[in-house]
Amino acid sequence: MLELKGLSKHFGGVRAVDGLDFAVKKGEIVGLIGPNGSGKSTTVNLICGVFPVTSGTIAFGAHDITKAPPHQCLSLGIARTFQNIRLFNELTVWQNLWVAQNSAKHRKERGFLGRWAGGRGQARRSVERYLEFSALAAKRDELAGNLSFGEQRRLELARALAAEPDLLLLDEPAAGMNSEEVGQLADRIRSLKGQGKTVVLVEHVMELVMGVTERIAVLNFGRKIAEGTPAEIQANQAVREAYLGTGAKI
Amino acid sequence: MVLVQAIIDGILVGTTYALIGIGFTLIFGVMHKLNLAFAAASIAGAFASLVAWQHFKDLPVPLVFLISAAAAGVLGYLIYLTCFRFIPLKSPLATLMATVGMLIFLEEIVTHVSDGKAQNYPGMLPDARWTLGPLDIRVDYILVFAISVAAMLLLLALLYRTRLGIATRAVAQQPVAAQLCGISLDRTNAATFVMSGVLGGLAGAMIGSSAELLSNLLPLQLTVKGLIVTVIGGLGSIPGAIVAGLLVGAVEKGVETWSVLARDLCVMLLIFVFLVAKPAGIFGKLNVRD
Repeated sequence: MLELKGLSKHFGGVRAVDGLDFAVKKGEIVGLIGPNGSGKSTTVNLICGVFPVTSGTIAFGAHDITKAPPHQCLSLGIARTFQNIRLFNELTVWQNLWVAQNSAKHRKERGFLGRWAGGRGQARRSVERYLEFSALAAKRDELAGNLSFGEQRRLELARALAAEPDLLLLDEPAAGMNSEEVGQLADRIRSLKGQGKTVVLVEHVMELVMGVTERIAVLNFGRKIAEGTPAEIQANQAVREAYLGTGAKI
Repeated sequence: MVLVQAIIDGILVGTTYALIGIGFTLIFGVMHKLNLAFAAASIAGAFASLVAWQHFKDLPVPLVFLISAAAAGVLGYLIYLTCFRFIPLKSPLATLMATVGMLIFLEEIVTHVSDGKAQNYPGMLPDARWTLGPLDIRVDYILVFAISVAAMLLLLALLYRTRLGIATRAVAQQPVAAQLCGISLDRTNAATFVMSGVLGGLAGAMIGSSAELLSNLLPLQLTVKGLIVTVIGGLGSIPGAIVAGLLVGAVEKGVETWSVLARDLCVMLLIFVFLVAKPAGIFGKLNVRD
């Protein structure tokens, strides 16, 4: 479903991502891990078009999205969350979800007038569904900026889902969460698989990555140093060295 | 009593300044850029309607106003295309200088269309008066006020109730996230320029209509007034632009009863007072490090 080939991004002399090959199949939950500065977030930003690619290609289904602008990626079915929360702080919770329903898929279903002037019926029902899913129904009229940190994280996930994407990119969704919240997040991510979503999870919280993913790719200095099941990755010597330094023993 | 009358007149006509201020502030709020050609485009819209009025005799006034609003809306889109769309947004001065160029260009066009002198413009009910005790209020001022308030309410409904408006506010708050919610920055920005252009064209037509005269000097005068209103109100604040527009209108008419020459001077003094005492404007937020 998603295929990165020889993907590179250089910032001046810094090779943030360097010849990355990586593929995700439909319905998979894949982890992308690595030490700080290893190129995980840059990879996410490249996939959804926030940064232009230096070289290499990105294919999504039958489409080449290497040069697609960010707002088109959503239309094709890719949604994401942000490492540093980027909600529309002066819109209400409900409006944050409503405004996200802007993909080509929605447009075709509703036509021009229904899209701009109305947003009734189906759009409202799907907003309600994700309010429930994220346990935010009671806060619907609250401004997003006034929510607690954990609620803001949940709203980010709900906003990405409200676009009804096929592929969901989660950029450190558990950062700053306590272990109870991480447990709830893990349940939510697992239930996404049941809804037929494909998920790429970029994360430092190993408890979450090892718990929900089926396959993990490890990056270091912009290159992929290992790929395999959670058990294989935990046993991998190169991965330990990348995280802990050469010669470390656990 | 003369002063009270003048201040009431000022508040009624000040709504046109408020519309111009809203136009500046709306674009700044969404793009964080100043469009210095905005007020000139508003007057150019009014001149377009003037040309139509001169060409087709006896056009009804509402139609003249609509032509002005539509022409200024189209100009707004053209300004977006020429001064913003393909100009690097990261360099802060590039778009500013482009809009200065556009301001001079539009002013030049207005000079040519007007033959360098003020032109007659159709008035709304110029002789109708409404006597209220000692006050004697011009009915066309009340119409200006009513039309402006209606336009503002329509804009607020658009911004707060429709998907286009909410998308526009989303772009203003988080441009990257908005794009990844499938909102095209390009289209939203263009829509903002058209919206503000329509408001400006309406204001330009009403300014001409309440004087029954469209002055060729208006582009620059209105640019200065509009910027003063925007700064006093607080950059990016629509309520601020409304209050500041009424304030500037009231001060202008109030001072006029004393001395016409001192009028613009006092408006300049007003902005000086605000820059010293309340630099963020009435409703603006100042970025203070804490």
